[in-house]
Amino acid sequence: MRKAMVLFASLFVATAWAAGSEGHGEGHEPSVPEYILHHVSDTNDFELEVPLGKPIHLGAIPPLRIGSCEPVMTDHGLVAPSGWDGLAKGCLDLSITKHTVMMWLAALLLLGSMLVWSNRDKTKLVPRGAGANLIEMLVLFVRDEMAIKNIGKEDGPRYVPYLLTAFFFILFMNLLGLVPWMATATGNLAVTAGLAICTFIVTQAAGIRAAGLGGYLKHLTGGVHWLLWPIMIPVEILGLFTKPFALTMRLFANMLAGHIVLFFLIGLIFILGHPAVAVVSVPFAFAIYLLELFVAFVQAYVFTLLSALFIGMAVATGHHHDEHGHADDHGHGHSELGPSHDHGKAHA
Amino acid sequence: MAAKEPREQSDGSELGTTARQMRAAQPYINAVWKLVGGAVVGVLGGYWLDRKLGSGPWLLVGLSFLGICVGFYGFLREMARLGKRK
Repeated sequence: MRKAMVLFASLFVATAWAAGSEGHGEGHEPSVPEYILHHVSDTNDFELEVPLGKPIHLGAIPPLRIGSCEPVMTDHGLVAPSGWDGLAKGCLDLSITKHTVMMWLAALLLLGSMLVWSNRDKTKLVPRGAGANLIEMLVLFVRDEMAIKNIGKEDGPRYVPYLLTAFFFILFMNLLGLVPWMATATGNLAVTAGLAICTFIVTQAAGIRAAGLGGYLKHLTGGVHWLLWPIMIPVEILGLFTKPFALTMRLFANMLAGHIVLFFLIGLIFILGHPAVAVVSVPFAFAIYLLELFVAFVQAYVFTLLSALFIGMAVATGHHHDEHGHADDHGHGHSELGPSHDHGKAHA
Repeated sequence: MAAKEPREQSDGSELGTTARQMRAAQPYINAVWKLVGGAVVGVLGGYWLDRKLGSGPWLLVGLSFLGICVGFYGFLREMARLGKRK
């Protein structure tokens, strides 16, 4: 326990030191809000500062752009359009960014740790070592407490691989963000949207698999007369996107907010301009840092749990169709199995 | 799509509390979504068509009214069926 406390404290001090030292050596000294925004935003420049040494700029990785990406003159000189502005002008910016590197790193760490800690020796039933035990505990938790409890005994195990991948990938990205000089990829809306799209695809596939394509499409009509379909089909399609949207925003906002609060507390020293502020702000920031460690696990858990819940609701509709062999005239039937099977909707 | 073989279903007793509650609440959430969504789609569709066709506020007014009616129809239909099921 003492070792863990020392490790957390060291990480926190290093993060705080990195916060204070970034931007040195440049002509313009960034303000605290500028610094915080710079820290949490995604850039093409991956900057690594070594303690007590000169900063090592890993440099902007050569950009990869598709489409009409003619540079335009801005206040900062000739700049190729990027992001949403670029997309509006027909330029798809696929440059490798800080958060992309973080995702690769998380994927590599995930692959490496699973290869090392997984019980590959089939002759041994009991995993050996702390790492293997930890992984087994988490895997069993995701299978038993998330997949089976939210999807069901029959279909739950089928979706465990996806849920495990999402859980561990998000967890590794969240934890990487707490390491000094690293960045939280889950604090990027594009990353969380990508993850939510994966859940969306799995959910729809689960719905189609359980209900059949006909049953799935019938639910999109809303069960109204065909003359009203032009209004009801857009309504049902809009309804499909509310859940992945909630997944996207929840993960993004939680991870971003934690980092902003952490750095703002340290930034108070510079805003108020007196070292004595550190007596209050540093312990508070340390507490937030510990909370962030907890949040890293909680957010991975919540994303996976909600994914399982949505998949479960989609699967429940399919079962409902299976029971009757058909849907009634408005795409719904009546079940004798109880509330858990007759209330699902394909557009969950 | 190929016909699926009939399968034995569990009674859902292994499901967690959250999953059971969410599945129970889903039809009600869906009914409310239909009510709101009908109006939203009517208003947005009417606005868009008015801008495309230059037809003044008429399509906006007409489609908004139709959207609200469809929303209410879907909502009441869902509620009536849920009431019957109980």
